[in-house]
Amino acid sequence: MFLILVVGSLVTFLTKSREQARMSALLTSLIVLIMSILMFFEYRTSGGLETFTELYDWVPSIGIGYHVAVDGLSLPMVLLTTITSFLCTVYAWGEKVRSNQFFAFILFIELALIGVFVSLDFFMFFIFWEFVLLPMFFLIGIWGGPRKDYAAIKFLIYTHVSSGFILLGIFAIYYFNIMAGNAPTFDIPTLLSAYPTLELTSFWKNFIFAAFLFGFLVKMPAVPFHTWLPDAHVEAPTVGSILLAGVLLKMGGYGLFRFLIPMMPNTSVNFVYIIAIFGLISILYAPIAAFMQPDIKKLIAFSSIGHMGFISLGVAASIAAGGETSRIFAASGAMFQLFAHGIVTAVLFGSAGVIDHHAGTRIIANLGGLAKRMPKFAVLMIIGFLASIGFPGTIAFIAEFSILAGSYPQLPLFVVLALPCIPITVMYHLYAFQRAMLGPYNQSLGEIGDATHYELLALAVWVVIIFALGLHPAPIYDMMESASTNLIMALPPGGIG
Amino acid sequence: MTDYLLLSPVFLVILLSFIVIVAGLFLKEKRILGYLTIIGLLAAFFITLANFNTRATLFSNSIVIDPFGQFFNLLFLMVSLVVCLASLEYYGNHPNQDEYYALLLLATAGMMLVSFSNDLIIIFVSFELVSLPTYILAGFDKKNPRSMEASLKYFIIGALSAGILLFGISFIYGATGETNLETILNSNLLEQSSIAVLGTILILVGFAFKMALVPFHMWAPDTYQGAPSVVSAFLSAGSKTVGFVAAFRVFLLALMALKFQWYLVFTILAVATMTFGNVVAIAQNSIKRMLAYSSVAHAGYVIIAFVVIAHSPEAAQFALTGGILHALSHALGKVGAFVVVALVAHMVVGGGEEGPEGDSLENYNGLGKRAPLTALLMTILLLSLAGIPPTFGFYTKFVLFLSAIKGGLLWLALIAILNSALSVYYYARVVMRMYWMEPQGGKVHEPAFYVLAVLLVVAGIVVLGLYPEPVYRMALEGAGSLMH
Repeated sequence: MFLILVVGSLVTFLTKSREQARMSALLTSLIVLIMSILMFFEYRTSGGLETFTELYDWVPSIGIGYHVAVDGLSLPMVLLTTITSFLCTVYAWGEKVRSNQFFAFILFIELALIGVFVSLDFFMFFIFWEFVLLPMFFLIGIWGGPRKDYAAIKFLIYTHVSSGFILLGIFAIYYFNIMAGNAPTFDIPTLLSAYPTLELTSFWKNFIFAAFLFGFLVKMPAVPFHTWLPDAHVEAPTVGSILLAGVLLKMGGYGLFRFLIPMMPNTSVNFVYIIAIFGLISILYAPIAAFMQPDIKKLIAFSSIGHMGFISLGVAASIAAGGETSRIFAASGAMFQLFAHGIVTAVLFGSAGVIDHHAGTRIIANLGGLAKRMPKFAVLMIIGFLASIGFPGTIAFIAEFSILAGSYPQLPLFVVLALPCIPITVMYHLYAFQRAMLGPYNQSLGEIGDATHYELLALAVWVVIIFALGLHPAPIYDMMESASTNLIMALPPGGIG
Repeated sequence: MTDYLLLSPVFLVILLSFIVIVAGLFLKEKRILGYLTIIGLLAAFFITLANFNTRATLFSNSIVIDPFGQFFNLLFLMVSLVVCLASLEYYGNHPNQDEYYALLLLATAGMMLVSFSNDLIIIFVSFELVSLPTYILAGFDKKNPRSMEASLKYFIIGALSAGILLFGISFIYGATGETNLETILNSNLLEQSSIAVLGTILILVGFAFKMALVPFHMWAPDTYQGAPSVVSAFLSAGSKTVGFVAAFRVFLLALMALKFQWYLVFTILAVATMTFGNVVAIAQNSIKRMLAYSSVAHAGYVIIAFVVIAHSPEAAQFALTGGILHALSHALGKVGAFVVVALVAHMVVGGGEEGPEGDSLENYNGLGKRAPLTALLMTILLLSLAGIPPTFGFYTKFVLFLSAIKGGLLWLALIAILNSALSVYYYARVVMRMYWMEPQGGKVHEPAFYVLAVLLVVAGIVVLGLYPEPVYRMALEGAGSLMH
């Protein structure tokens, strides 16, 4: 799978003409998509980690190995990555500027993201984690908007610093594992099982936890570490935004579930309220900030921050004291939110991109009545907006409902405090839609046609997924539920709080 | 007798320099000397590689052949090789190129001797063998006043530091009556003597000039900027590494007994050097000055190894391995980057000798369109210097910072990682200039030898970044041979 992506992206990079570039990119991402769907079905029938585990030595002297595997948490994320990348390729079919590099960078990002989601070796994980930044840096920098230099470098520095902290955490675990007399290794399952046997002072436990948490929260991003995100989104090309919000942001939440909670259940309880507070602040701050945004893309960026706040809340709830059922409920909800938000936000940013390409501006005040000129597009867009609000019947409803319902028994105060965000979210979404799409047509925009076929196609597929999984979430949800059950059952019963 | 054959690469290089200078008197087509030099360096490289991991002591224990020295010999030969390849274009038509190659070879031989030397006197003499030719090389562009200034500055500082170093050596000799590193280690006279501390500090200062540690770095930016770019490549990748090698040998062998005295000094130097280097590099408008300050910062990272070794004996071998590897990755990154600078100044800006604006960052605007291959290679080099995976630079920083954690120096690792994150800014700025600023001028021809030289380095960085196991083992052997 990696090999195909490497070859595919290199071929795309080397192609001369735009036709060849987009064909090879499309083909590569399609093959990878089909492979991941096949894996998905095979996993459902056979189950078990063993099906897709690969383990080789890489740098044995300091214990680095090539170890990949998928489980109920990572497989949906891989699927999300492949779907998003494939549809991004479709969506960006009309890209004209340096299209070979453009499509190659999409594939590079896909490669790195899949790497992040399947790695079970800290060294490998970190390499992919960092490698995600580079193509995104170039995507923002080369195809970005007017303030792209600033946004690209801000993105790079913020996320690089946060990675530095993750690296420190990795170092510390590695070191203590050696100190305990074990063979040096970066292998994640080995370290996870060895961790409880290590003798650590509480300072080190808290330090390791805080280092990882900081790294993941910046990536997620949680207010107040979010300031890189609106800039990066506003300046990034549409496809960059879709990948950034749709998949890159999920790395933080994925990291929390994959490493932090299973590794340090006892330490994580010290941080329940910290994570919950970060989540709550994001949930409440983001919609209010979004309300103020004149730029529709920035508005969507802030909505992402709010939605990611729900994930923090779900994470906190799944480790807080309470009944196992509700903790599993919250954890599965948060995992499902990772997937759901990836799909929903793609529609939103896709819509913002269409408006920008066709109307030539994203400032809401300058738009108006676009629905008259772009009827097909308007339908898709309103569905995306409704899904973002959490309308029942859409995928996001399932996710946010499970998070809130699962969190209530453990953290009632936080859930009650988070509720005001729902009306505000509804208000700013509909208000923005009303001003941009409805009402009298703003004549100063000139003649505008409907969105192009490939744009509509990509948006439509996302919308179909929103409904399909909104009405019948079982295929993904069950898988995540079993993953979260395994996770919660491994934690000390009852939690502490 | 066969042991002496282990020194054959050094003899080969010295012999070659004599051949080159004599043959230069008679040859009309001097370009051929460049090819000859390259063949000789390649031969020396492979001889060293084939004999890797052999040990011997020569000349009544004043020269010691060990994996540590061999590792650095390989490094110096490689740097020299790359510089020669680039010089084939850079000085392709220069009337005095025979002298250039001869001096380069002599300096390389000096570097190789430093890494094998086991005696303070030999270290000093080989140091001078490195320094004297490089003073001339720095001023090789005779008509360029900046090159002259660079050479003069380098010479004065070099003479000063050599004096200080020798002064320090004399104190150590006074305290112990010995100049052999291992004998000094085994005699317990150092701890009893008060002048030994003074000697240690003086030696440290002497090396600090060579390694360009803050506050002894002032000459480095001026010299690297003024010297011809290929020579800057040689200085920052080669001369600087010589400082590391000598410091490793002297401090980890002879002066290990005084580690509580030099430990604190190295700690302060490490923090000051990396922080100052990175912060000042941000403000530079000249690519050569920027690379010079980044070189200063990298010296700070390497110095972490000393701090860890003194602080925690368990982590010592690992830390030294990290230090050796980082010296290698820095040398690779810098030699490649300076050759690219030479290429850009020469081919993109145009003109034979470098003009006054030859090293301005402006020249990199839109290089991705003007010279796509060069820009790509430069990007990889800068990423490696910044320590971004999956390059070799990431791996070596990884090992080095890991050793700091292993030695219980969390705060030092934290400072180093933050510094490293800071440095991404100025490397990324160059990349941004290359890829998303409007080019000033059309596409340019990318000369084959330059590209070949850089390609060699970049291939090394990528391959070692993806599969560092063999070189890690070599460095581990080297570290093991130094720490008994």
